[in-house]
Amino acid sequence: MALKRSTRRTLSRAVLYAVLLGVLLLVGLSADWATIRANFFAPAGIGNPFTGDWGTWPDLLTVGVKNSLIYTAVAFGAGLVLGVVLALMRLSPVAAYRWIATAYIEFFRGLPVLLVVLVMAFGIPIAFNGWTPPGGTVGAGVVGLILVAAAYMAETIRAGIQAVPKGQTEAARSLGMSAGRTTITVVLPQAFRIVIPPLTNEFVLLIKDTALLFVIGFAADQRELTTIARDFMASSETAGTATSLIQASILYLLITLPLTRLVSWLERKQQKAR
Amino acid sequence: MASSTLPRPRGIIRSSIALASTLALAAVLTACGSDDGGDSAGDSGSGDDSGLTTVSSGTLTVCSDVPYPPFEDFDDTSESGFKGFDIDIVQAIADGLELELAVKDSSFDALQSGQALNANQCDIAASAMTITEERQAALDFSDGYYDSQQSLLVAEDSDIASIDDLDGVKVGVQQGTTGKVYAEENATGAELVSFPSDAEMFQAIKAGQVEALLQDLPVNINHQDQGGFSVVETYSTDESYGLAMKKGNTALVDAVNEQLSEMRDDGTYDEIYNSYFATE
Repeated sequence: MALKRSTRRTLSRAVLYAVLLGVLLLVGLSADWATIRANFFAPAGIGNPFTGDWGTWPDLLTVGVKNSLIYTAVAFGAGLVLGVVLALMRLSPVAAYRWIATAYIEFFRGLPVLLVVLVMAFGIPIAFNGWTPPGGTVGAGVVGLILVAAAYMAETIRAGIQAVPKGQTEAARSLGMSAGRTTITVVLPQAFRIVIPPLTNEFVLLIKDTALLFVIGFAADQRELTTIARDFMASSETAGTATSLIQASILYLLITLPLTRLVSWLERKQQKAR
Repeated sequence: MASSTLPRPRGIIRSSIALASTLALAAVLTACGSDDGGDSAGDSGSGDDSGLTTVSSGTLTVCSDVPYPPFEDFDDTSESGFKGFDIDIVQAIADGLELELAVKDSSFDALQSGQALNANQCDIAASAMTITEERQAALDFSDGYYDSQQSLLVAEDSDIASIDDLDGVKVGVQQGTTGKVYAEENATGAELVSFPSDAEMFQAIKAGQVEALLQDLPVNINHQDQGGFSVVETYSTDESYGLAMKKGNTALVDAVNEQLSEMRDDGTYDEIYNSYFATE
C-alpha cells in the first residue's frame, strides 16, 4: 500500500513481461529445433541464392503463385459481375426477382466452399452431357468459387447501395433522370466506393479459397500453390519434409498481408471522409 | 434540363434492369447447356466401331494421383511432365495406339469412385489402383499389370513387429485405398486414421500422430530408404493393379488389354518393370 501508484504500475508491467518471456523460453526450450530445421527448413528446398540454387521456390512461384492469382482474379471478376446482378435483383420491385436472389444468396452462403467446388467439378460435366467450362475441370472448380463469391459479394454490394444517401436518388430523379440512369450513374459509383474495403477482403478470402481446388484434377502446370506445396511433401528434393508448406505460407502472406494493410488504410481514409 | 425527355413510366426501367439480369443469367445457363463436348461425352458406350473415341481427340488423357513414387511422380525432363511405373506403362499404351499422352493430377478418391471418369476428365485412371469387386461396380478394369502387396511401416525403434501388435495403436491409411480395407479387416483393435494422400501420412508418422502406416509396399519401401523407418511386414493380397476406364467403354478396355499383352510379349513390360522394381 505504501507503494506509489507509478511504482506499482512499473512493477505490474515487469511481471507481465516476465511471464511473456517465461512462456517464450519454455516453448523455445521444449521445441526440437534440429528436427524443425530438417523438416520445415530443408536446405534443398530453401536453396542458397549465393550459389545460384533457388531450391523449390521457382516452381512454387512460376506455377503455384501464378495459377492461384489467375484463379482468384477470374473468380473475383466473374463473381463481382454476378454479385452486382444479384444485388440489383435483391432490390428489385419485382417480388420474384427478390425471392430468387435471396434464395441464391442464402443457398451458397450456407454451403462449405469445398463441397460446392467438388459438386461443380464432378457435377457440371455429368449434368451437361460431358460439357465442361473453359479450362476443363479447373474451370468447373473455379465456377464453384464464382458461385460462392457472388453470393457474398451480392450482400456486400446491396449494403453499399443501401448506404448511398436517399437524397442522392431523390436529387437525381428530380433532375429528371430515369430510375435506370440514376442507378448506373449516381448510385452504383457511390456504392462501389463504399464497398471497396469489404470487396478487397473478399479478394483475400478468395486467394485462400483457391487452395480448395486441390480436390479436383490438375495438369502439372495448372496446379495452384497449396497443391504444389502438398505435392512437394512426397516428391522433389524436399520429399518427406514439410518445407514446401512453410514456403507456400510465406508466399501467401506476401500476397495477403499488403492487401489487408491496404484495406485498413482505405477504411481509415473513409472514416475520415465521413 | 431534361425537358426534352418524354415522361417514362417509372416501373419500366427498373423492370427492364431486372429482366436484363435474368436474361444474362439465362444466357449463362444455356451456355452451360450447349453441347460443346460433342459425342465424345454422355452415354456409357463412348467407343465405336471405326476406332477409339477419347475425351480429347488424338490424345490419351490419363488421370493419376501424383505424386506416388515410384508409380507416379513429377518430372520436368520427360515429355508428359511425369514419370513412374504407371506413367511408363500408359506412355507405351498411348504410343501403341498412336495417341499423345496427357496426364492429369487428380485426387485418388475421385478416381477410385469413378467420378473423374464419369465427369469425362480422362480416358484412363492409372494410379496404382488395385482391381477390386467394389470398384468394378463403378469402373471397368484392364487386365492386371502389377501384383500389389500391402505392407506395414513403423519407426525403426518401434515395438510393433506385426499386424497383431496394432491393438489400440493409431495406424495411418489412405482414404479410398485397398490398404485401408486390408487394415479394417485384419488389424484388429487398431485405430485407423485416414489421410488424403501419402504425403500427409508420412508427415503424420514423423510427427507421432500415428505409429504405423499400412499401404502399398513400394511406397513404404521408399520411406524406408529415406531413413528412420522400416517395413516390418508385407501382405500378399492376390490382387493386382489395373488401369480403370469408364464403365461400359469396352472398346478402350479391349484396346488397352491388347497393348498390355503385346508389351508382355515383346519384352517392353519387363524392361519397364525392371527399371523400377529390379531386385539386385
